[in-house]
Amino acid sequence: MRYTDVPRYDDGMKTFTAVVFAVLLACMSATSLVAAGRPEPAPPAGSYRIGVFVPGVVDGSPTYEMLVRGVRQGAQEHSNVTVTVVEGGFNQSTWEESLTSMAASRRYDLIVTSNPSMPQLAEAVAAVVPDVQFLIMDGHLTGNERIHTILFNQREQAFLSGYFAGLVTTSGMPGANNRRRIGLLAGQEYPIMNEVILVGYREGAHRVDPQIAVDFRVLGNWFDAGQAQEIAADMMTLGSDVILTIAGGGNQGVVSAARERGTYVLWYDDTGYDEAPGIVVGSSLVRQDNATYHATVAAIRGEIPWGTATILGVADDAVGFDLEHPEFLAAVPPHLVGEMEAILHELRTGQVTLEMPIPGQ
Amino acid sequence: MIGQILQSSSLLLLIALGGLVSERSGILNIGLEGFITVGAFVAIALRVSGVPPVAALALTALAGLLPALLFGLFALRWDANPFIVGLAINLLAAGVTPLMSEVFFGTRGSIRLSGGGGVGIWSVSVTAVVALAVVHAGLYRTLPGLRLRIAGEQPEWLRAHGAGVRRYQLLGLLVSGVTASIAGGLLSLRIGAYLPNVSAGRGWIALVIIYLGYRKPLGVGAAALFFGLVEAMAVRAQAVVAVPPTVLLALPYVVTVFAFVSYSAWRRLHQQEPR
Repeated sequence: MRYTDVPRYDDGMKTFTAVVFAVLLACMSATSLVAAGRPEPAPPAGSYRIGVFVPGVVDGSPTYEMLVRGVRQGAQEHSNVTVTVVEGGFNQSTWEESLTSMAASRRYDLIVTSNPSMPQLAEAVAAVVPDVQFLIMDGHLTGNERIHTILFNQREQAFLSGYFAGLVTTSGMPGANNRRRIGLLAGQEYPIMNEVILVGYREGAHRVDPQIAVDFRVLGNWFDAGQAQEIAADMMTLGSDVILTIAGGGNQGVVSAARERGTYVLWYDDTGYDEAPGIVVGSSLVRQDNATYHATVAAIRGEIPWGTATILGVADDAVGFDLEHPEFLAAVPPHLVGEMEAILHELRTGQVTLEMPIPGQ
Repeated sequence: MIGQILQSSSLLLLIALGGLVSERSGILNIGLEGFITVGAFVAIALRVSGVPPVAALALTALAGLLPALLFGLFALRWDANPFIVGLAINLLAAGVTPLMSEVFFGTRGSIRLSGGGGVGIWSVSVTAVVALAVVHAGLYRTLPGLRLRIAGEQPEWLRAHGAGVRRYQLLGLLVSGVTASIAGGLLSLRIGAYLPNVSAGRGWIALVIIYLGYRKPLGVGAAALFFGLVEAMAVRAQAVVAVPPTVLLALPYVVTVFAFVSYSAWRRLHQQEPR
C-alpha cells in the first residue's frame, strides 16, 4: 500500500520540477567545466601542439601531476609549442573514446599520456586516426611506428621498498615489533603488481632476512579508504609493522590505521613523508617528471625513436628512494639511511641487477 | 577479530538505521550515498577550519538535514518520484562536493588532516549502538514512531484520523539524513581525510541490509553484524587461504545473498507448517 497516497503530477508541476532539476544539473555541469580546465588560446601557425591525456584527474595524483609538469617544462623551452591538458576521468571504459576524440580533433601533433593500459588504447586509436603520435609513460609497446613507450623498472623500485621494509621490521624502531612480517596492500591485482612489484618487494625484504614474511592483500578498488583502513588494521593485527601501500585513495586508510596502532607506512612513486610525518617513513620514487621532460624535449626535436620502448631504472636516475627529506631523516636511524645509500649505490653501479620483466611476456 | 567485525558492521548499521526509519515511513531513501558524501565533506571541511571533532560531528548531523529537506521538498511537496529524487541527490552530491572542494580548498582531489580526524577507533561502534537503541525505542515505544510506521503501511488510516502522512515521511527522511551524514562524517574523520568516492557504495549496501534485517531495527543490527562478520572473514582469508584475493573480495556479497535466500526459504517453510 505504500506510495499509493502520492497524487498524480499535473503538467505545471512537472514543468516546475524539470526546471528545478535543470538548475541542479547546471550546478553539476559547473564541476565538469572546472574539471576540463580553462580554455587555452589558439596555437600560432606552424606550432607543435601537444595534448596531455590524463586517464583520471590531475589533482591529488602525484603521478599525473609529474606527467603534466614534465610536459610543460619541456614545452616552455620552445616558443612554438602549445600544451593542452585533457582529463579522462575515473571511468576507464570511456578512455578509448576520449582518446579517439582527442586524436581525431586534429588539434594535436603529439599526445602524451601515462598508464599501463594506455599502449593498447593508443594502438587502437592510431589504427583509425592518422598522423598523431603517442608518447606513453609507464607503459610498454613496441612495433607501432607512431607510438613510443617508456617503462620504469618497477622491480628495482619495489625491491628498494621491500629492502627498506625489511630493515624497518628487523630494527629497533619504536613502531617495529619482534615479528618479521611486512605488508603490501594493492588497490587491485594486475600483471605488473603480481609479476613485478610483489616479486621485487619480496626480493628486497629477503635480501635483509630470508625469514621475513610478506602479507599481500588487495583492496579491490582504488578509492575505498575505509575498507583499506580495515584491511591494514587486520594486517597489523597479524604482525605487519610496516606496510607498503599502492592503493590510490585507499592509502589514506592505511595511514589512518598505522596512526591508530603506531606502525609504519611506505609510499610508492612519490615522496609521501609530508602525508603523515613519523608514520610514512619511506618513499620509493619514480621520477616521472624528469623522464617526461626529457622525452617531451626529444619529441619536439624529432629525436624520439618511434616504434620502440625504453625501460628506465635506478642507473638512469628515473627510479630511486627519497633519502633526503627531513621527516625521513628524523624518523629513521642513521645506520638504516646508510644501508639504503649502499643498496642504491649497488643498483646504480650494476653490482645488483634486477631486470624488469615485460608484463605478459 | 571481534573488533574487526564491529568496525566493519557499525558504519553500515548506522546508515541502514536511518534508511530504515525512512523506509518504514513509506519513502525508500535511495539518496543515502549522497547524504554520506555530504557528511564526509562537511566534517572534514569543519575540522580543517579548526572546529573540534565533537562539534564538527554535531554540525555535520545538522548539515545532513539539508539534503533530506531537499529530498522532502521534491518528493513530498512537489510529488516527484522518490526514486528519481534519490538518484538526483546522489548525482548532486557527487557533483557539488568537488565544486565546493575546488572553491574552498583549491582541489578536487583529497583534503587531508595532517594529524588525523581526532575521533577514536571505537567512535563508530559506540555511535551505531546508541543509534540502534534510539531507533528501536523511537519506532516501537513512542507515538510519533507508531504514526511513522502507520504512515508507511496504512497512510489512509492516518489521514482518516486527521494526522498528516507527509510530516512523518519528512521525519523519516530527516532521521536518515542525520544518521547517514554522521556516518559520512565519522568515516572521513576516522580516515583523517575527505576523498572522492569516499562513500564507496555503503549507501547501497545499507539499503540491502534494511531488507536483510526484515525492516526491523534489531534485524538490521543482526544483518549488519552478519555482513561485517563475512567481510572480516574475507579480509583475514586473504592472508591465510591460498585463493586469489580478487575472488575473496566477492565473498561477503555472495555469502550474504546466499544466507538471505536460505533464511527466507527456511522462514517461509516454517510459516507454512500446520500448527
